[in-house]
Amino acid sequence: MVDFGYSLSPSSRINLDNFDQGRLTILSKIEPDLIKCIACGSCAASCSAANFTKINLRKVILLLHRGLDNEAVSLIEGCMLCGKCTLVCPRGINTRNLIRSILKTYKEV
Amino acid sequence: MSKDVLVIGGGPAGLEAANQLKILGYKAYIVEKSEKLGGHLAKWDRLFPESISASETLDKLLKPINDISVFLNSEIVSVNGTDGSFSVLLSNNITLSVSSIIVATGFSLFHAEKKEEYGYGIYDRVITSVDLENYFKKHSDNRIINPKKIGFVHCVGSRDEKVCNRQCSKVCCVTAIKQACEVKEIFPQSEVYCFYMDLRMYGRYYEDLYLEAQSKYGIRFIRGRVSEVSEDENGKLVVKAEDTLSSKPLKVTLDLLVLMVGMVKNDDNESISNLLNIRVGEDGFFKTANPILRSTEGDSQGIFFAGASTGPKTLPETINEAKATVLSMHNYLSKQV
Amino acid sequence: MKERLIFGYDPFVLPFTLGMVFIILYLLVGTVRIILALDDSERKLILKSFFPLKLFKSIKDIILDCLIHVKIFKKNPLLGYMHSSIAFGWFMLIFIGHIEVMIYTPQRTGVLYYPVFFRYFVMETHETLRGSFFFFLMDLSLLLVLTGIGLAIFKRFRSKALGMRRTTKLRLGDKIALYSLWAIFPLRLLAESFTANISGGSFLTISINHLLNAFVTNPDYILPVWWAYSIALGLFLFALPFSRYMHIPTEILLILLRNAGIKSSMSRNGYAESEIYSCSRCGICIDDCPMTVQKRNIKFSSVYFIRLLRRRFDESINTADKCLMCNKCVEVCPVGIDSTRLKLLKRQEEYGKSRTNYDYLSTIEYSKKRADNVLYYAGCMTHLSPAIYKSLFKILESAKIDYTFLDSDGSICCGRPLMLSGNLEGAKNLIKKNRELIKASGCDTLLLSCPICYKIFNEEYKLKGIKVVHHSVYINDLVKSGKISLKKSSDSYVFHDPCELGRGSNIYDEPRELLSNSGVVKEASKERRESICCGGSLGSLTLSYNDREQITKASLKALLENDPDKVVTACPLCLKSFSPYNSKPTIDIAQIISEQLINS
Repeated sequence: MVDFGYSLSPSSRINLDNFDQGRLTILSKIEPDLIKCIACGSCAASCSAANFTKINLRKVILLLHRGLDNEAVSLIEGCMLCGKCTLVCPRGINTRNLIRSILKTYKEV
Repeated sequence: MSKDVLVIGGGPAGLEAANQLKILGYKAYIVEKSEKLGGHLAKWDRLFPESISASETLDKLLKPINDISVFLNSEIVSVNGTDGSFSVLLSNNITLSVSSIIVATGFSLFHAEKKEEYGYGIYDRVITSVDLENYFKKHSDNRIINPKKIGFVHCVGSRDEKVCNRQCSKVCCVTAIKQACEVKEIFPQSEVYCFYMDLRMYGRYYEDLYLEAQSKYGIRFIRGRVSEVSEDENGKLVVKAEDTLSSKPLKVTLDLLVLMVGMVKNDDNESISNLLNIRVGEDGFFKTANPILRSTEGDSQGIFFAGASTGPKTLPETINEAKATVLSMHNYLSKQV
Repeated sequence: MKERLIFGYDPFVLPFTLGMVFIILYLLVGTVRIILALDDSERKLILKSFFPLKLFKSIKDIILDCLIHVKIFKKNPLLGYMHSSIAFGWFMLIFIGHIEVMIYTPQRTGVLYYPVFFRYFVMETHETLRGSFFFFLMDLSLLLVLTGIGLAIFKRFRSKALGMRRTTKLRLGDKIALYSLWAIFPLRLLAESFTANISGGSFLTISINHLLNAFVTNPDYILPVWWAYSIALGLFLFALPFSRYMHIPTEILLILLRNAGIKSSMSRNGYAESEIYSCSRCGICIDDCPMTVQKRNIKFSSVYFIRLLRRRFDESINTADKCLMCNKCVEVCPVGIDSTRLKLLKRQEEYGKSRTNYDYLSTIEYSKKRADNVLYYAGCMTHLSPAIYKSLFKILESAKIDYTFLDSDGSICCGRPLMLSGNLEGAKNLIKKNRELIKASGCDTLLLSCPICYKIFNEEYKLKGIKVVHHSVYINDLVKSGKISLKKSSDSYVFHDPCELGRGSNIYDEPRELLSNSGVVKEASKERRESICCGGSLGSLTLSYNDREQITKASLKALLENDPDKVVTACPLCLKSFSPYNSKPTIDIAQIISEQLINS
């Protein structure tokens, strides 16, 4: 193939065929209720830190399922672990433990 | 076999069942624990999706049963079933001997005070869908004063483990859209928002109603949950939610907030299930013999169900089910001879 | 009385003596280890604690806890008698035994085994009053111990009779130590009875001696019984460090260190080690842990956590993460082990490296009006039950008190949930920012409606010059000073003591005093120090929603025992935990009071 010296920028389309589910599998073992999320957004709506940052647990769960790990971590590392999201989740997910587990699984110290 | 049949519950299911029983030649007795017939239907103004009058519908249900025995303010005290007939003692000390029982006890409305964060009963301008429907009928409610911005919150008390109600109440989405259009008719200058998780427009002409809500009435739909409601200095409601589609937290000041309360089990379902030897499911509604082929029959002989006593239902489904129940019961009794 | 054998020695004393030497060395090494693991400030505290007054208190505590077991008597009188009879009786045997040696065979004072086997080595030449007195005391003490041992054996089969529904299973080391302990005293009785006609005895030993002589006349049977006695002792002493009964000597060290003011700072070494070895695995904490309402969660109670720590197993972090941190186990522990603190330390050691990022806090500034008097901080949870602060404001307005609502637009969390999760570093960021905002407000009183916030603001924030107060106490003061007046209703209330307000901050009376102004206060079947956690605690990191539901229902059952009209809470988390399952209304104390206000 001839190398013209330039290339198209990578597609911004999410490619579900491509992403490495390794860490998601680990996370699902630690917190199996992860799969119950219906993305209603109650967690993000009640979040204390959302007044000051872009924190959004609903979006984070979605991003992790789509393989966009880095964006996910930056959206959750400001969590104050206050517990409001756990109190309002209509599916009864232990969101506090989920957030801690996400940080443990995806963020290097 | 005796032709006497007991119908527990005087709502639309019970009324329609009694009517069908009369047509087939049975003698029906209706036992209703409140002071009048009609159940929740008596509270509504117009029915979705084609805005049919609720009171006219109720009148049509009540007319044919004029000559049927009705016991108001009565409850079942004890039931003795032997050899295909039941001896039922009511709280007014009357004993009935019937060959079968139709359980049409319906549902209860979720008590919106239980979702404290929405402030029902705490803030003046937070009302429920039932209150709003009443306003449509009576045209007055001192909580509704020329609202410029109105919000509807879907799924209050439904699909929520935190208030122990996992079920979807089926009718609230289409009711919310119906009421949003109606309130826009009354206050055409107002802005109306619907805060939803999903829009369940499964029935005939429901999607048309949704389309009309958007195009004709300009109702604004926000996919996201309301997290907290508080009051500002003027007593207006400050509502916080997440707009999931844009992934941003959202805040809006409203003059009126309507909570779409769901259908939940009756508190006395457990005691009725003990009296009649029938079972309740995990969601507290009654269990049927087979959810597909025999959803109007109970596990025990001679017990039948109609209406929302076996789970959230729309009104046409309830009426149809009452007809089907009576047919099942008739088939059962014909075999008993 | 004089010595019967010239050298005062026989090989049978070896098992006991070797065991004794072993245990003394073990204790010495253990104590040195613990002291070495402490830091300098703690060692200074130990030196300071040797002043006579402090030493006196320690000795008093040792007598009350290790000998008489006062705390166990409180749990169940029969259980208390069982422990104190064995402990006190055995102590008397040792003590009087040493006195006997000093009086009658002073040349053997200081010989390790002599007082233990005194009755083998002496013979009574003529009876004296003094001799009879000592023999009587020894026999009485032995009888005392034997009654305790009898109860202990009975307890293994019918523990309910001694007030213990559940207890821990014995491990191998425990079994060896326990069964040899059980054997020691009957064997001692047998041995001393065999020689009672030679050495002398009293009511117990002489009577059995007569009985024995009817069956056994051969003096060769005497020595094997003393061997058996010595072996039982030796086995016990060797097995001691590998069993739960190590608590017997360790508790003495624990009391000394605790009275010196030392607290655990690591989860396994230093002071924690003395706590861990002082745990007798009695299992009293199992019944009282709220989680054990479900059998499958019994393995998470404190006793098993301490055992995992003792063996340095990694799984201890799973138990530490599960704990509700309600402090019920600390309350009922007869040894006073602060297992909640150990669990918190374990979390800190495991999750110390913070993965969170709070840089965004630095941009936040104080934006409300200046608060000269009261600054109200709702906290994260109260925002989900706005009736609480709405009622509180109504009360403040009725008392004409000027207040500022610090976090009406949203709170920076107080930091306690973060601290409890082990992330101390992160919590410090939140504390720093909140302190700044509170100081900037210029207030003199910080009013809180959530006990979780109250605890951390009171203990960690160090807000000098600002009175930190929970709303139940504050409103009570308003009533007492006449700033608000209430009308009484005919309702009866039961008050639920929140873990963080009750056991956490020692506030039990003020809310009840306040409530009694507006209705009748009924008792729950377990309340005050014994109140059961509502199940909503943020202390637990991994407890599932279903498990919490069971805990809530059990706690509610205790509250509704006396059929009150309303259940009153003082914590928004308790409110939200109870209200879905409560057949009666669940209301915050501020709401109750605001409904009963008489407006002037």
